Amino acid sequence: MLALDPILEGPLLWTPLFIIIGKVLFIFVVGLVATMFMVWYERKVVSGMQNRIGPNKAGPFGMLQTLADGIKSFFKEDLLPTRADRIVFRLAPFLAFVPAFLLWAVIPLGGDFSNGNDGTVTWFGHVTRVQLADPPVGILWVLAMSSIGVYGIMLAGWSSGSKYPLLGSVRASAQMISYEAALGLSLAAVLLSSGTLSTAGIVAGQNSLVDWNVISTGIVPFVIFLIAVTAELNRPPFDLVEAEQELVGGFNTEYSGIRFALFFLSEFMNVVTMSAIMVTLFLGGPQPLFDIPVIPGALEGTIWFLVKLFAFLYLFVWLRATLPRLRYDQLMDLGWKVLIPISLGWFLLLAALREFSPDGDAAESLRVVVISFVVAVIATGLFAAALKVSARNRAAANQPADNTGVTV
Amino acid sequence: MIASLLAQAGDWTSPSIDWAALAPEIVLAIGVNIILLLDLQLAETKKWAIATITGFVLLGSFVAVVVLAVTGDGARSLFDGRYVVDDYALILKALFLLAAYVVVLLSQTELEEGGYYQGEFYVLLVCSVLGMVMMASARDLVSIFVALELLSIPAYMMAAWNKRNRKSNEAGIKYYLLGVFASAVLLYGMSLLFGATGSTKLTDIGAALLDGDLIGLDVVAVVFVVCGFAFKISAVPFHQWAPDTYEGAPTPVTAFFSVATKAAGFVALMSVVFIAFPGADGVYQPLIWVMAALTMTFGNVLALRQTNIVRMLAYSSVSQGGFILMPLAFAGEPGVGPAALNAVIVYLIAYAFMNLGAFAVVIAVTRKTRSGEISSFGGLFSYAPGLAVAMTIFFASLAGIPPLAGWFAKFNAFKAVLDAGTTAAYVLAAIAAVNTVIAAAYYMRVLRVVWMDEAPDGDTSPVKSPAPVVAALAITVLGTIVLGVLPNLIARAGAIDALTGAFAG
Amino acid sequence: MSDATFLEFVVFFSAAVMILGGAVGVITMKNPVHAALGLVLTLFGVAVQFVAMQAHFLAAVQVIVYAGAIVVLFLFVIMLLGVDESMDLSIEPIPIQRPLAAVMAVGLVGLVGAAIVRARDALIIAPGDGIATAADAGTHDANIKQLATNLYGDHVFAFQLTSVLLIVAVAGTVLLTRKWPKDVADTESSDA
Repeated sequence: MLALDPILEGPLLWTPLFIIIGKVLFIFVVGLVATMFMVWYERKVVSGMQNRIGPNKAGPFGMLQTLADGIKSFFKEDLLPTRADRIVFRLAPFLAFVPAFLLWAVIPLGGDFSNGNDGTVTWFGHVTRVQLADPPVGILWVLAMSSIGVYGIMLAGWSSGSKYPLLGSVRASAQMISYEAALGLSLAAVLLSSGTLSTAGIVAGQNSLVDWNVISTGIVPFVIFLIAVTAELNRPPFDLVEAEQELVGGFNTEYSGIRFALFFLSEFMNVVTMSAIMVTLFLGGPQPLFDIPVIPGALEGTIWFLVKLFAFLYLFVWLRATLPRLRYDQLMDLGWKVLIPISLGWFLLLAALREFSPDGDAAESLRVVVISFVVAVIATGLFAAALKVSARNRAAANQPADNTGVTV
Repeated sequence: MIASLLAQAGDWTSPSIDWAALAPEIVLAIGVNIILLLDLQLAETKKWAIATITGFVLLGSFVAVVVLAVTGDGARSLFDGRYVVDDYALILKALFLLAAYVVVLLSQTELEEGGYYQGEFYVLLVCSVLGMVMMASARDLVSIFVALELLSIPAYMMAAWNKRNRKSNEAGIKYYLLGVFASAVLLYGMSLLFGATGSTKLTDIGAALLDGDLIGLDVVAVVFVVCGFAFKISAVPFHQWAPDTYEGAPTPVTAFFSVATKAAGFVALMSVVFIAFPGADGVYQPLIWVMAALTMTFGNVLALRQTNIVRMLAYSSVSQGGFILMPLAFAGEPGVGPAALNAVIVYLIAYAFMNLGAFAVVIAVTRKTRSGEISSFGGLFSYAPGLAVAMTIFFASLAGIPPLAGWFAKFNAFKAVLDAGTTAAYVLAAIAAVNTVIAAAYYMRVLRVVWMDEAPDGDTSPVKSPAPVVAALAITVLGTIVLGVLPNLIARAGAIDALTGAFAG
Repeated sequence: MSDATFLEFVVFFSAAVMILGGAVGVITMKNPVHAALGLVLTLFGVAVQFVAMQAHFLAAVQVIVYAGAIVVLFLFVIMLLGVDESMDLSIEPIPIQRPLAAVMAVGLVGLVGAAIVRARDALIIAPGDGIATAADAGTHDANIKQLATNLYGDHVFAFQLTSVLLIVAVAGTVLLTRKWPKDVADTESSDA
């Protein structure tokens, strides 16, 4: 009925049904395993960077440490603060955890994209994709789910009935809303170049290195997307939501046991899913850089996908290990005054190039770029002049310059 | 990838746009941006320039309207008839722009002396006017709704302009809440209308409603849409916001609301009634009949009891709304349509001049007396004879005394109603006649204070009016007298007759 | 499309229960945060209905904009201002108001319901009747393309002027939240 998957075309038989159920189970398992892996990986890499050993007792290289921690948290006491809002307090971990899982549904995890194939594979005589669903609004599904994820954090902090979690959740909502704008605008640049919202379509469009969106949109949207995603994930250097030194533990201070574990897991799962989304959007997902001999095309896609995914996972851990946390006003300044204007301007530039230099002619493109640059300079100049005038006006009104930064 | 892009490009043909027809709107939209940018660049001491620039923006748009009116031959229809620039639209656009210009003249000194933020005020004012100008041409539910929001949302903020004043805050919040509620009702009606007829284009809706019997869903939709607009034109029983908002908002803003915003509501109502609802005249006619009768009666009875001049003008504006609404109650009667349309437009124009003028006098006088009480106008003739005469002209015109604009407007409205020739028409005309007498009573009461009474505090130093207010007074006095003496000028708005035929046909 | 299947009924009615339950929750919940969550439930239900009608784009935008941004802002403001205490809803300054509202609500529901039931025979609205749905056009992005053609074709002027509305919103918000200049005299009494 819906063009979610080629397998759904035609009558619904048992085999396709089992394939779909199999995919659901597979994604569920992959999601959990990837999360557990990510927790271990982060601890291991960070400890390596800090010249420590890190987890090494449970299983080979301590790989089962996360599992052990998870089992432990099941048996911990599940505390409920007296001033907590009972229903919402219990609901919040699931609101954080479930969207993180649902995001996996639209990510192409593999498939045969080599030599310009469209990524479909044939399993048991049925043509399908290596992704649970390919809805027409694929990438909007990602945005929708990540915006639902905010509720988990906000409500957890509020329902705890305690001041530090509340501060953490107020910070979280402000931060996530602020960076969602930059995220969406840089995403728009990708959509402009792909011409489709479907994740499979976006991947299929990036069938050679120059068509990878990281290059075809210019590097800027990718960088902005990366920064905005880091902020959305509340990862360092944007982890003001759970700044231990300021807020005890942030929004999840009052949580314990398995509910805390759910928050913990959903955060790490979000890291993995968001990395996967960046791979899909900018680095061609399962698109191969070159053909690996022997291995069949479908599996090759998965291998390439994992390679790219690891690059991002490592990047996130690296950022965490090296960067100090931003101050709250710096965070807001970066989001509103730097990222949003740049991503908007870049989006306009790309649109202008599409409109006035549709064939990619060098002379026309150069003209568009020069004109855009002049416009940008004028706009910046006007903005700077306006700032100066308003500063002078304030001085004239003999008022102390009021700090417009949000102090939360 | 390129192939898929090209395939997409094949589907798409950009709509052909008659840019000249959109010139007034484009001038205003660019003007908004210029004002906004300049406001950021100007030092506090030079902010007065913003008002001048706003004047020029409105003037530029006005020139575009005039050029369109002079050179245009017939209606220009854009977007498959969803946006039409015809005589009807142009004359109303001109009205909105003129009213806004007068309001700018009135606000200039008020804003400077009050220390209000000037740049933002004019930005919001021009945005609101843009919505009105758009409304005059909108022939599609979507554009009508966007235009309505565009003209209302700035108005909510303008009502609450004086942030220090509790009453202004109250005005803003009341206007906002009831306005949003009205929008919701309107939107619900529109969505039902769309569901029942399958189109948002007014002509399509009109055809669908004329075709076959009216079903219950259509009836509910029509009632909701009419009620939604009734809020905007503050028709009883949807008028409760009006007096408090009018009293609390800064006086120039009140002038703007009572003239321009209300006119925009009427324009939307007219477009819908004449184009989309000819098949539903059995539904909207009784509804409007009741609203018109209630509106003029309630407005008048309450106006009689007011001691604050702005509040009195607020209720008088409610009751005048009833008179404007009156001809629409018979818009669907055979042969009455063109006359009704003409009557409403003529009334709106005349009302704009005289009501803006009345507010201009109030602003000029209260600058000195610092009081809104009617008694504080005592002895006005002794120390400000010019203002007293102007006030007499406006109030006499509002009361409908010949040979002023208001008289001709009322005459036209009565004529359109009597043309219908039904019992309901005679009854409504009788109610209106009684109301005219009541209205005359409270207008004359103010004039008696102005001419007969002594100045309450004995202060008879002359009133010094700033130049913009004098200019506004000159425009409105001229308009009120000229339209009354030479009614043929706007009876030419009767050329709209031809258009009504196109509407209803 | 075939006739409504059992599955479609299930989807429709569960979404309808979500919408109505959420809406009732918004007005009856004592705690503003709970009321906001009720609103989220309603908005989700609407999104589900959009999906059931194959308007995927609208569904996604419904979730992103309403649930993801607007209600989050509501919650943000509720938390920031600290008005998240439970209210006693039994206090009523205007006593007649509630019974009157109840009567009005029942009347309105009856009226609209009756109108819709009566309209069932008059309006034969089959899927795809009147409005071409994505399913007819067939291709993957048909729904979005259709929306784009509509927005940028017939309604492009209204669409563009909506951007002016955004300017109004920004200018107005800045203005309403800005500090009043200090040297301005209090105009409480002098306003006519």
